[in-house]
Amino acid sequence: MAPEISNVSMFFLVFFVLIPVSLSYFYALGLSKSIFWSSFRGVTQLFLIGYVLTYLFSLEPLTGISIMLTVMIVVAALHASKKGQGIPFVRSITFLVIVLIEIFVLVMWLGFDMISFQPDQVIPMSGMVIGNSMVAIGLALERMKSEFKEGKGKIIAALALGAKPEQASKILVRKIVKASMIPNVDGLKTIGLVQLPGMMTGLILGGVAPIEAIRYQIVISLSIFASVSLSAMLVTVIFYRFFFNKNQQMIQMKES
Amino acid sequence: MSIEKVILEAKNIQSDRLKNINFTLHEGEIITLIGPSGAGKSSLLMLLNRLEDPNEGTIHYLGKDINEYPLEQLRKRIGMVFQSSSLFEGSVEDNLKFGPSLFDEWKPERGKELLEVVQLPKEYLDKNVEELSGGEQQRIAFARTLANKPEILLLDEVTSALDVKNVELIERFLKEIVPNQVKAMMMVTHDIEQAKRLGNRTFFMNNEEIVEQGRTSQVLEAPKTNTLQAFLKE
Repeated sequence: MAPEISNVSMFFLVFFVLIPVSLSYFYALGLSKSIFWSSFRGVTQLFLIGYVLTYLFSLEPLTGISIMLTVMIVVAALHASKKGQGIPFVRSITFLVIVLIEIFVLVMWLGFDMISFQPDQVIPMSGMVIGNSMVAIGLALERMKSEFKEGKGKIIAALALGAKPEQASKILVRKIVKASMIPNVDGLKTIGLVQLPGMMTGLILGGVAPIEAIRYQIVISLSIFASVSLSAMLVTVIFYRFFFNKNQQMIQMKES
Repeated sequence: MSIEKVILEAKNIQSDRLKNINFTLHEGEIITLIGPSGAGKSSLLMLLNRLEDPNEGTIHYLGKDINEYPLEQLRKRIGMVFQSSSLFEGSVEDNLKFGPSLFDEWKPERGKELLEVVQLPKEYLDKNVEELSGGEQQRIAFARTLANKPEILLLDEVTSALDVKNVELIERFLKEIVPNQVKAMMMVTHDIEQAKRLGNRTFFMNNEEIVEQGRTSQVLEAPKTNTLQAFLKE
C-alpha cells in the first residue's frame, strides 16, 4: 500500500505555490492572482475527482465505467473541437472519433486480457488514451486550418491540374498527420530515460515492483501511440472534404 | 480574327466579383487582360476552368456549356498557371507528372520534352524543387501545366515576380506554343508593354467589368475611356 500523505504534509505544499507567486511579484509579472486561482482550482478538482472516483468504483463496473467514460469523452470532444471552430460538424464528428478510439482500445485491452473490466483499471487507462487523443485531434484540427490556409495556392494549383479534392488534399494531409504524431514518436524515444512516465511512477509509489509496473506502462504507452495516430488520421481524412464545395472548389473557412 | 473559330464564349456573366462580362476567345489568339488590382481579372480567369462559378450567365467551350464537361476534364483542357509557382514538395518530375498521372497518361520520356520546352536541362528532373531559383520554379510550373496538354492556357500574372531574363525567356516560349501546342491563351498582366508584346487583343478591366476590349494596338494606343487613359498614364 502506498504511504498516506497527511493533511499537515499536504498543507506545506503552500510553499510550492509561494515560489512562483514571489517570482511573479518580484518581476512584476502580474500572474499572482492566476497562480493562486489555478492552484486552488487544480487542488479542488483533484479532491473532487478523488471523491467521484471513490463513488464510481463502488458502483457496478458497467455503471461506473459508463458514467465516467461518457463524461471524459464529452469533455474531450468539446475541448478538442474548439481548435476546429468554423469547420462544419466538428463537435459531433470529434465526439464520434473519440468514441471509436475508446471502443478500439477497450476491445484490445479486454480481448487480450491486458486489464480487467474494473473501474479502477478501465477509467484511469481510458482517461490517458482519451486525453492524449484529445490533444492529437486538437493539433490536427489546428494544423489543418493553417495548412489549408497557407497551402491554398498549392491546393488550387492541384485542382487546376484536374485533381479531385481528395487528390489535391493528399499533399497537405500527409503533413498534418505527421505533425500530429511527432510529439508521441519523440516522447516514446526518450520514455523512461528522462522522466519516468506517470502511470509507472504511480504504480511504483503504490508498491508495485518496477518490472511489473513497466508492463502496464508499455500497454498504456503503445495504446496511446496507436490511438493518437488513429485519431489524427481519422480527423484529417474526414474533415478535409469540408474545405471544398460540391463543384470541387475551395471554400473560404470562417476565421474562429 | 473574326473568321477564326470561336473556342470560348462568355455571355452575360455576373458573379460576386464580376459584372456584365461578355467576350469570345478565338483559336490562335492571345488575349491580354490589364487593369488595376481588384478589377476582377483573376476572378475572370478562374471562372473559365470552374475554379469559381458565376451566379448568372453562361460560358461555352467548343460550343458546349462548360458545366456539361466533367470538371477534371475541363480543368485539364483549360490549364492555368498562377503568379506564385505553387510547386508541390518533391522533385521536378513529381511535379511534372502530377497532372498526367491523375489521368493515367504519364510517360517518363515526357519529362525531358517538357524541360526542353521551358529550356531547362534534363538533369533537372531529379532535382528537388526547393533547390530551384524563382525563375526556374515558375518555368517548372509552366511545364507542369503543359504536361496536361491543355487546349487553352490561362496565365495569372505569371511573370510579375521574375527578372528581365526570365520574363524574356517565358515570353519567347509563350509565342512559340500558341497555336502549335495550345490553341489560345488569356493572360493577366500588370505590365502594359508585355500586353503589347504578346496580345492580339486586350481587355481593360475596371470595377469588376470589361471597360474596353479590342485589338491590342487599338485599345492601348487609342483608349476611348477616361479610365483607361488615366490607367495608362500611371
